Order: sequence, then structure tokens, then C-alpha cells
Amino acid sequence: MRKTALALVALLLTALVAVGAAGAKTGKSQATVINGAGSTFVSPLVSLWTPALGTAFDYTLQYSGVGSGAGITAITNRSVDFGASDAPLTADQFAACNGCVQIPWALAGTAVPYNIPGGPARLHLTGAIIAKIYLGQITNWNDPAIKAVNPKLAAGETLPDLKITPVYRTGNSGTTYNFTDYLAAVSPQWSSQIGRGQSVNWPAGVGASGSAGVAGVVKNTPGAICYVDTAFALSNGLHFGAIQNAAGNFIFPSIRNVVAAGATVKSVPAGNELHIVNPDKTNPLAYPISTYTYIILPQKTQNAPALRKMVFWALTQGQAGKYTAKLYFAPIPKVVLVASEKALQGISS
Amino acid sequence: MEATATPQGLRRTRHALDRFGDKALYVITGSAAVLTLVIIALIIWKVVEGAWPAINKFGISFVWSATWNPVMEVFGAREFVLGTLLTSFGALLIAAPLSIAIALFLTELAPPSVRSPVGSLIEMLAAVPSVVVGLWGIFVLGPFIRADLGPFLHDYLGWIPLFATTPQQTGVLAAILVLAMMMVPITTSICRELFLTVPRDVKDASIGLGATRWETIRGVIVPFVRGGVVAGITLGLGRALGEAIAVTQVIGNSLRPLHFSLFEPGNSLASQLASSYQSAPTNIEISSLVYLGLILLVITFTTNFVAQRIVHRFEKQTGAR
Repeated sequence: MRKTALALVALLLTALVAVGAAGAKTGKSQATVINGAGSTFVSPLVSLWTPALGTAFDYTLQYSGVGSGAGITAITNRSVDFGASDAPLTADQFAACNGCVQIPWALAGTAVPYNIPGGPARLHLTGAIIAKIYLGQITNWNDPAIKAVNPKLAAGETLPDLKITPVYRTGNSGTTYNFTDYLAAVSPQWSSQIGRGQSVNWPAGVGASGSAGVAGVVKNTPGAICYVDTAFALSNGLHFGAIQNAAGNFIFPSIRNVVAAGATVKSVPAGNELHIVNPDKTNPLAYPISTYTYIILPQKTQNAPALRKMVFWALTQGQAGKYTAKLYFAPIPKVVLVASEKALQGISS
Repeated sequence: MEATATPQGLRRTRHALDRFGDKALYVITGSAAVLTLVIIALIIWKVVEGAWPAINKFGISFVWSATWNPVMEVFGAREFVLGTLLTSFGALLIAAPLSIAIALFLTELAPPSVRSPVGSLIEMLAAVPSVVVGLWGIFVLGPFIRADLGPFLHDYLGWIPLFATTPQQTGVLAAILVLAMMMVPITTSICRELFLTVPRDVKDASIGLGATRWETIRGVIVPFVRGGVVAGITLGLGRALGEAIAVTQVIGNSLRPLHFSLFEPGNSLASQLASSYQSAPTNIEISSLVYLGLILLVITFTTNFVAQRIVHRFEKQTGAR
């Protein structure tokens, strides 16, 4: 009995040593590993980039979509090589991160999905209406204000007598930042009473955690409305609203319309913080709830050459339609690309 | 060498060895006990340290201030404290009688072939991870509350403020039910063990004196283990007070003042910590969240202390009799 056990242990040890030796042998030619964490919004795009980066540079990219805020914490602690966030860093976060830069590296829209049984497939909404819904002032789908912007419904579609349940993200979220940034831009009352942030004191509605939680509640709650990234709304089969922009057009978050919103950036400020919500009326196609999303890099890092190569690839080839199109990301415009590349030059080891 | 070989020498060595062994045992077990104290002291110290900026800024009034506004950077704990107490004690009200009933059934009334399979099934419930219970809350319990249980309560008991508003699928009621479900297995298995400790002859004596099953349970079994039952319920309550993930998933996480209706969303200390701590954008919000943790710590200590007093009192009474 004892002998068998000893033999087993010996066998295991031999196997371990053999594996170790094999690992050491192949160690030299092993790929560079780059670790990242953050935004769930950008996570599907990063996972499309990963195999391409593997073939292009032999990099192994490991990304965890743990949420923008958690990504910022991770890069602040330097437990990853890069963080990713949909909201620009706050002053406190910049200070804590100790020499980090944020670089806009992707562009997308936030959709406003809804669940109205028997309701319109193409619901028109305005910023003022959405703000009032989330302020708890418009509480029923048959509200005259909603009817007024949806004069022509298809046959069989109604705006029923149904309570509106606004659903928001629990905790801190980059998508919440984008959405409240928009509401603050279109509603003076929202701006003065609630404001913009990764988490705000919602005056109405219920919270759910993560995009998946929000989508789950909306799917199961007749009368619910929420905000999630466009690709997520589509993959969950949710209808989402056409939002009126400053030019007066009702716009869906299609790539063309998000590109139009992204193009409203004429110059990039020093900290790379960009706001493209509710662009003015000279942009008839612009989708009003669009956002840049950022990669956060430490200026001094051992992995600098690999990180520079990777981000440069993401900013250029990574914007190609074969990666971005089906996820409803829009290619970033040239002026932002130039600024991002410039910021990238500041990363060194 | 010669000396140790004699019986007397051997005895002396044995004595020395034994004494050393006892000492070692004392030191090892003692330091394990001291280690718990050290860990608790370190936890308290780190929590107070982390909460210090918020304690400095908002003072003790943080505890009863109702506003939690991350944008304006004004923070107060009242809604979370109320939410924690409401959900935990609400769950206790449902789970405690249920657990005692299940335990009594399994130890006293059920046929022997049922006892251990059902008992182990209930204990398996305790092993379900809280995130799974939370998902069940989102996809099964929530829709059930919105479509069936909620309308029923609202239609028949709507005149009670607790059920006055339109039922929704996330809210305080969902949190209470989820917590109750998490408390039941813990409390049940403890109660079951306790009821098994009641000596056979005491029960037989009671039956022999002509008492019914119910009278035996009420007059003999329950008083015999009263203190232990309270301790078991406290353990379950501890789980409910500190449960974060499952509550976050179903409570609706509002930052508004708690509504009197159980169908409306609420929040709790642990839920707010879990959902916001990892990604809080400002230092003062992080510190305020740690302050919430400190309050939770105080609440947990207080409930444990009160429970110990009750257990102590029961033991005294039983002893006197």
C-alpha cells in the first residue's frame, strides 16, 4: 500500500520535472503577454483584436471586462499593463494613477432599449423626454409628450397605458457616465439637480448590475427602458429608440451616425478628454449619445515597446470594418487618431 | 545514559516531556485564539483608517444623514442602514419559524427514511453560491413577484402601506425572500443538531406522563435548547446582514430615501459596498463606502452581543429550574 503511494508520488514528481523542463525549453520563443482590464463596453472589440494581434506580433492579449472603474483601479495598482475606461479619469483618479495617460481608442454609441408589449418597433424619443422619464416626471407610455413625437405608428402598434420603469446601472459605470453626460447636456433640470457621473443619485427607477443585469430586467419587465451599448442591445434582441438630435432628426445608433458624432471633434484638448454628446445642429446625422472610450497606460512601463505597438495597431488596423462593424463601433476620426498617436509616443520604459 | 535507563530516570524524562507537551499545546491553542483577536483588531484598525477622511468630513451625523449623492460628493448612510435592518430582520421573521419547523419535523415527526435525505438536501442549499441565488432572484423570483405574488398581495393587502405600490420585479421584498432562502439551511441544520441532543429518556418521560407530541415539543424540547436556537438564528442573521452579491442583484439599488412599500427598490450597506467600492471615482466616495463597512461591523457586533446576552439569560433560567 505504502509502496504504491510512494511510487505514485515519484511518478508525479518526474512528470512535473519533465513538464518544467519542457516549459523552460520553449520559454524563449514564447509570446509577449499583455494584460488588460476594464470597460465591459469595449470588451467584445478587444476580444476580436486578440487573435489578430497574435498573428501580427505574436502578442498574447489577456483582457478582463471587469468594468471601467475596476480597470482604473487595476492600472492604478499596476496589476495589469493597461486599463480601459469609457469615462475619462477624474482628477482624483489621475492623481492616484501616478503618471498615467488616457488615450481615446474606440468610438461607439449608447442605445436606449425599451420593452413595450405591442409597442412600436421604431420608437421616437427626445432628450427632454428621456430626462423626464429618468426624473420620474413622465411615468406612463401613453404620455402626450411621447405620443407627440410618435404621430405615425405602424398598424397594430400602440403606446399603451403602461407604467414606465426606468432601469439604470448599479454602482459605477462608464455607460452611466455617457448617458448622464447626455442628459445633463439636454436637460437644464438634470444638469442642476442630478449632474453627470459614473454613478448618480437616480430620482426614479430601479438599478441592476452590469449590462447583462440591466438587459435581464428590461426583458422581464413590461414597460421598462434602459441604456446599454448598441451591440449588447442588438445581441439581446432588444428594440431601441431613435433619438432626436440637435438638428431635429430621429437617429438610430448606426455606425454612420456614430461616425458623424465622432467627427464633431475639431481639436483634442491636453488631457484627451472628449465629449461628443448632443452635437450641435450642423450635424444632421450625428447620434446624440455617442462616446469615445479610453485605454489607460502608465507613462513609464517595462512593456512600453509592446504596448506602443499594440495600441498603434488598435488605433489603425484595429479600426477596420471587419473588427468594428458588427459590434457597432465606429472608426475614430483622423484628428483623434493624430492626438492618440502623439500621446502614445509619451509611453517609455 | 545509565541514569535514564533506570525506571526512575525514565519517569523523570517522561514527566519533563509531558510537561513540555502540555506547555506546547497551551501555546499553540492560545496563540490561535490570540490570532483571532489580532485579526479582528487589525480589521477594525484598517476600516477606521480607511473611513477616516469621511469620518472627518461628515462626522457621526453620516449615520443618519439620508443623502448619498456621488455627483455632489455628499454622503450619508441612513438609507443603507435602514435597508440592511429591514431586509435582514424581514428575512429573519420568515426564516426563523420556517427553520425551526423544518428541524422539528425532521427530528421528531418525519419517518426515519425521510429524515437524513431531506436533511442533507437542505444542507446542500447552504452550499449554493450567493451569486447563483441572486441570478435565481433575477430570473425566477423577480418575475414571480411581479406577475403573481405581488399582484396577489397588492390586491388583498394593498391597504397596508407595505404593499401599496405596483409590484416590480426588483425591490425590497425580493431581497427579503432571497435572504430568507439563504438563512433557512444554516438555521435549520443547527436547530436539527440541537434537537438531536435532547436525551431520549427526557422525551420518553414526557410522553409517558401523557403529554402530546406538541406539548413535548413546547414544554421539553424547545426549552432544552432555547439558547442554542437563538445562537443558530444569530448565525443566519449574520449571513443576512453581510450578504452583498445576492442582495445587489435583486434589491434594485436605489439611492433615494427608502420607500415604505416592499415592492419599491431599496439598498443595503453590503450591497452598496459590493456594487460601488471597486470602481468609486473619488477618494471621498471610497472613504464613505468604508465608513458604511464600519457601520456594518458595528451592527454585526451589536447583534452578536445581544444574542449572547439572550443565550446567557436562557442558560441561567434553564439552570435555575
